[in-house]
Amino acid sequence: MTAMTPVPSPRFRISRHRRLAWLVSALACGLSLLGLALCWLNPSIHAPLRPGLDFTGGTQVQVERDCAPCSPITALEIRQGLSSLTLPSPEGDRPPSLGSASVQVLDGGRSLLLRLPALDADQSTALVNDLASKFGPLRSSGTSVNTIGPTLGSRLLQGSLISLLVSFVGISLYISFRYSGIFAFLALLCLAHDVLITCGLFAWLGLLQGIEVDSLFAVSLITIAGYSVNDTVVVYDRIREQRRTLAAVSLLDQVDVAVDATLTRSLYTSFTTLLPLVALIFFGGSTLFWFAVALTVGIAVGSWSSIGLAPTLLPVFSKR
Amino acid sequence: MGRQQGWFALILALTIASAALLASYGLQLGLDLRGGSQLTLQVMPAGAITRVDAEQLEAVKDVLERRINGLGVAESTLQSVGSDQLVLQLPGEQDPSQAARVLGSTALLEFRAQKPGTEKDMQGLLALKRQAESVLGAKRAPSPSATPGVPAPPEPPSLSSEDLAKALTSLGLQVPSGSSETDQIELLLKETNRRILALYGPALITGKDLTSAGRQQQATGTGWEVTLGFNREGGEKFAALTQSIAGTGRVLGIVLDGRSISEASVGEQFKLAGITGGSASITGNFSAEEARDLEVQLRGGSLPLPVKIVEVRTVGPSLGAENIRSSLEAALSGLALVAVFMAVVYRLPGTVAVVALSLYALFNLAIYALIPVTLTLPGIAGFILSVGIAVDANVLIFERIKEELRRGNTLIRSIDTGFSLAFSSILDGHATGLISCAALFFLGTGLVKGFAVTLAIGLLLSLFTALTCTRTLLRLLMSYPALRRPTYFLPARQLPPAKPGAAHPGVA
Repeated sequence: MTAMTPVPSPRFRISRHRRLAWLVSALACGLSLLGLALCWLNPSIHAPLRPGLDFTGGTQVQVERDCAPCSPITALEIRQGLSSLTLPSPEGDRPPSLGSASVQVLDGGRSLLLRLPALDADQSTALVNDLASKFGPLRSSGTSVNTIGPTLGSRLLQGSLISLLVSFVGISLYISFRYSGIFAFLALLCLAHDVLITCGLFAWLGLLQGIEVDSLFAVSLITIAGYSVNDTVVVYDRIREQRRTLAAVSLLDQVDVAVDATLTRSLYTSFTTLLPLVALIFFGGSTLFWFAVALTVGIAVGSWSSIGLAPTLLPVFSKR
Repeated sequence: MGRQQGWFALILALTIASAALLASYGLQLGLDLRGGSQLTLQVMPAGAITRVDAEQLEAVKDVLERRINGLGVAESTLQSVGSDQLVLQLPGEQDPSQAARVLGSTALLEFRAQKPGTEKDMQGLLALKRQAESVLGAKRAPSPSATPGVPAPPEPPSLSSEDLAKALTSLGLQVPSGSSETDQIELLLKETNRRILALYGPALITGKDLTSAGRQQQATGTGWEVTLGFNREGGEKFAALTQSIAGTGRVLGIVLDGRSISEASVGEQFKLAGITGGSASITGNFSAEEARDLEVQLRGGSLPLPVKIVEVRTVGPSLGAENIRSSLEAALSGLALVAVFMAVVYRLPGTVAVVALSLYALFNLAIYALIPVTLTLPGIAGFILSVGIAVDANVLIFERIKEELRRGNTLIRSIDTGFSLAFSSILDGHATGLISCAALFFLGTGLVKGFAVTLAIGLLLSLFTALTCTRTLLRLLMSYPALRRPTYFLPARQLPPAKPGAAHPGVA
């Protein structure tokens, strides 16, 4: 880094492809918005994303049957079996009805997944015992019961949204302080782009595959936000450096040089971060599957926006 | 060079300390990893209190802790969360429903004397109550033969539907159409309880006057009774209370959480001094389990504010074991691939980075053991992500070193410039990550918090390892001339043609 450094000629000029990059991102954002809107309009969801147990509240019971070749069983049989069960209830309260239970049969009849209105401890014990007597024997170590009260669900959603917004504000303040307002604005724009596309994917998954979002999804969104900014900041740091050393060249050229210089790093970093995540998708427990999917998509999109959007938009906004 | 060795000694010492820490403390695994149940209790404001503050939460926690100890569940933890919630964790295969029963009720015990002049009303109500209770009891216990030796009616008691309807209307209740007999009897019980309570005077003795509680099998019958020991003041009050109603035919009502659980008359012989001795028993026809629950509750004292159980999560231990095994495998295989990638792409410094990142993982785990951080699945995810960002820091540095080498700088100078130029972007990246972590930690809920904690620890450590460990190890290796070759850093074809007089660019 000396004054004699000639103006480098970048091998890859991002500005030549910027219109294509903008088009691709605009299309992806449009598709995501469409997915969110369709989700909202869907009477069975009525929310931008299909909310899971964490947000709606209720009880989820998963049991594992103890059988070598399991006799086939249908969700209808289980619902019929449940209809004869009356749950115990504290004096004066009506026990929740089991009619609205949703039943899923997994692993070829080996595991049953039931989604019910919120049950208390006695009621869920009664339910598991009833299942054991009708469809058992069950493996006791494979049983899991989760109950989340409706108020807790909305509180969780609120907490997640607030922490997301607060981290947005904190990050933009930091970047304004270290760089400038325009950098902060564009970093937030890219971040919104990354989060929107990840949400859009899950809206489509919710519509087509019935995938629900849980509190881990909220965690993944905040992680994506942090990662996306990290990625963008590295490119910005380089642009800032070029401004000092290559003051004579146009901003567009400075951007090209900075993107070219950081391209290898951006790709390698995304690749190394994606490796453990992809491993989690393929080999991790089922609990973390969708979490890993959300992070993988978000980080891939985040790399894209830090290469294709954040630097190329800078000259556009700086002219004003 | 001396400074370099100082750093190296520090890193070595930290490594040994971390390994020792891990070996002696071990890691705390969350319930989602080892199986168990988690109950979330919400403290509800009541009466004059509209907002639950820290002091009240602490008071509720004290009572609940005593109850949990009374239950004898192993290794349970009770933690306050936020301003008005408590989380109880029961590891292993322990039934959460008993804990839910025992923790969920207020257990406000009151001794109340019947008001004078209400004897006739009380008699009618009590008769109705006993009848309804025995019918309900017979309905709930399907085998009447299970009560041998009891002078029970030969037929299971029953209440004809006309009698039931009559009883209900006599209490001024509408018979809800379409309701089952059980529902109607429960309605009847609720109303009689309400009316009995109205006949009682104020609470003269409460659970606060107790010093002990126990249980024993009833002398007659199969039920259990709960025995109580009063403190001195309580004993005196109890004597005065029993004296006031002795021989009058009025009853002493024992009320638990607004439900009259026992009505006892006091014999003529206590007219003079009341029942002294400071002890009493509640004969409420309890089952063994009910008696034990009540004993535990009374021993722990009543809750200053009511609680509601808002969440119960149970994970079978085998689910937990499966999750941890597959997630660990995935994480390790992913990290192994990252190590291979680093060593192949970045050659000597890449290999150094792999060593530094292994130390990084070790330090991370040691800090988890030290704080301690309870590892949950989101926590593991946070750890994996922080590894990704730690690798990024190394990639940034090495790319810069390569750039400097391609420009024809000497090796040592390239390394120094690489570190210093990469620093600002590493700092910014880590700072923004930490800002997110802070937002998550202070505003998020349990699950999210675990993630934020491991990610924050990872980010702070990553600053240390990338800037100190990698650098120290690299400089230490550079003190060996045999290793001072630019081709150990990048392919020879990327190096600028050697200038005359600088045939060994590595020799600074």
